[in-house]
Amino acid sequence: MKMLAVEIKDPADGPGADDVRRAQVGDVDSFEKIYREHSPRIYALCLRLMAGDAQSATELMQDVFIRAWRRLDTFRGECAFSSWLHRLAVNVMLENARSDGRRTARVLPMEDTGKLPGAAKSSGIELSMDLESAIASLPRGARMAFVLHDVEGYQHQEIAGQLGLSVGTIKAQLHRARRLLRERLER
Amino acid sequence: MTHEVVRHLLDDYVAGDLTEDARVPVLDHIGVCAICRSEVDDLEKLAVQAAALPRAVEPPVQAWAEIRSVIERDARVERTVSRRSSSRFRAQPYALAAAGLLVALVSSGGTALYLRERAAPSVAVAPPAAATADPAGAATLAAFTIEENNYLREAAPLADVLEQQQGVLAPETVAQLKKSLRIIDDAILEARNALARDPGNRTLVEMLSANYRHKVDLLRRTTEMTRSS
Ligand SMILES: [Zn+2]
Repeated sequence: MKMLAVEIKDPADGPGADDVRRAQVGDVDSFEKIYREHSPRIYALCLRLMAGDAQSATELMQDVFIRAWRRLDTFRGECAFSSWLHRLAVNVMLENARSDGRRTARVLPMEDTGKLPGAAKSSGIELSMDLESAIASLPRGARMAFVLHDVEGYQHQEIAGQLGLSVGTIKAQLHRARRLLRERLER
Repeated sequence: MTHEVVRHLLDDYVAGDLTEDARVPVLDHIGVCAICRSEVDDLEKLAVQAAALPRAVEPPVQAWAEIRSVIERDARVERTVSRRSSSRFRAQPYALAAAGLLVALVSSGGTALYLRERAAPSVAVAPPAAATADPAGAATLAAFTIEENNYLREAAPLADVLEQQQGVLAPETVAQLKKSLRIIDDAILEARNALARDPGNRTLVEMLSANYRHKVDLLRRTTEMTRSS
């Protein structure tokens, strides 16, 4: 199965500030419009962050939108709504990884995450492209750095801030990710 | 610049992150070093491929229905909670915590009562097999599971804080708190088991939700008390 790519609409035709305002006062239908508009981008991010595991990615994305709904009043419009959601997605993923680690030690050491059964294939959508599978097989830290920087286009500084790491660490993770990806793609 | 130095700068070179005085010697070296040149080619190819990956993927269709059911329940609980709490309590953290204990106990008692009534012969209980095969039931349970995970995530660090800080509270408050938490936990466990047998039961979901919410509220208020004392 292939990843179902969908077209990205120009932000200008996106849900207006009106939808966000209406959702902020509790209008679920307006929030649904926001969901329809933004969920494909957020889902793609979740899918890559969760190493191609469709079920975890769906749960993460649902969690992101539920929290977005609960925190809508904190969105003041200083940045684009899409950036706000995007940051929320990364934060939710990090929070989940931290609390899962504390609760059940389900998060494996960084070196081992590439060997998770769900790493290269997924229960629902299979990432058939070589690069996608190679990204999914990366250790978690390297994968996050690569997805956020090389795929999503964040700056080192932004990623470092979001992950609570130094710029040097992010660059080292990126270097490692790229080296591993090239090795895996050559095979 | 030597090969050893340059090879550490190639990522930055390809990303365009080098200053002019670093970029020029790297460029010169690449002109004469086949290893670095091929490394740069590979990195550039990878950057192009990464940038070309699909940035949007349609999520599974049922995902929204589950989100919607959680946020609609949120709105209902919010209305109930805002009816219960008055501004008089808001000003006094101790009174507020006391109210929290009371609300939690009343609601957990309600769960026990509901479960007892359901167990009585006059109330028909759907057989487990039929219940699990019900797709609406499965959706209700799936939506609730997401919410439950959120509560567990919220409750765990609060319980940690409380564990470490309970010395600052009066012993009778700690005893009362532990008793309340035990009652809520029992109610959660009982309702959770009942929900596993009857996944489509919305009343159970709402009760379970309310119990979790009370637990998190209670923990949060008590940890706030430990901070302010
Ligand atoms: Zn060289």
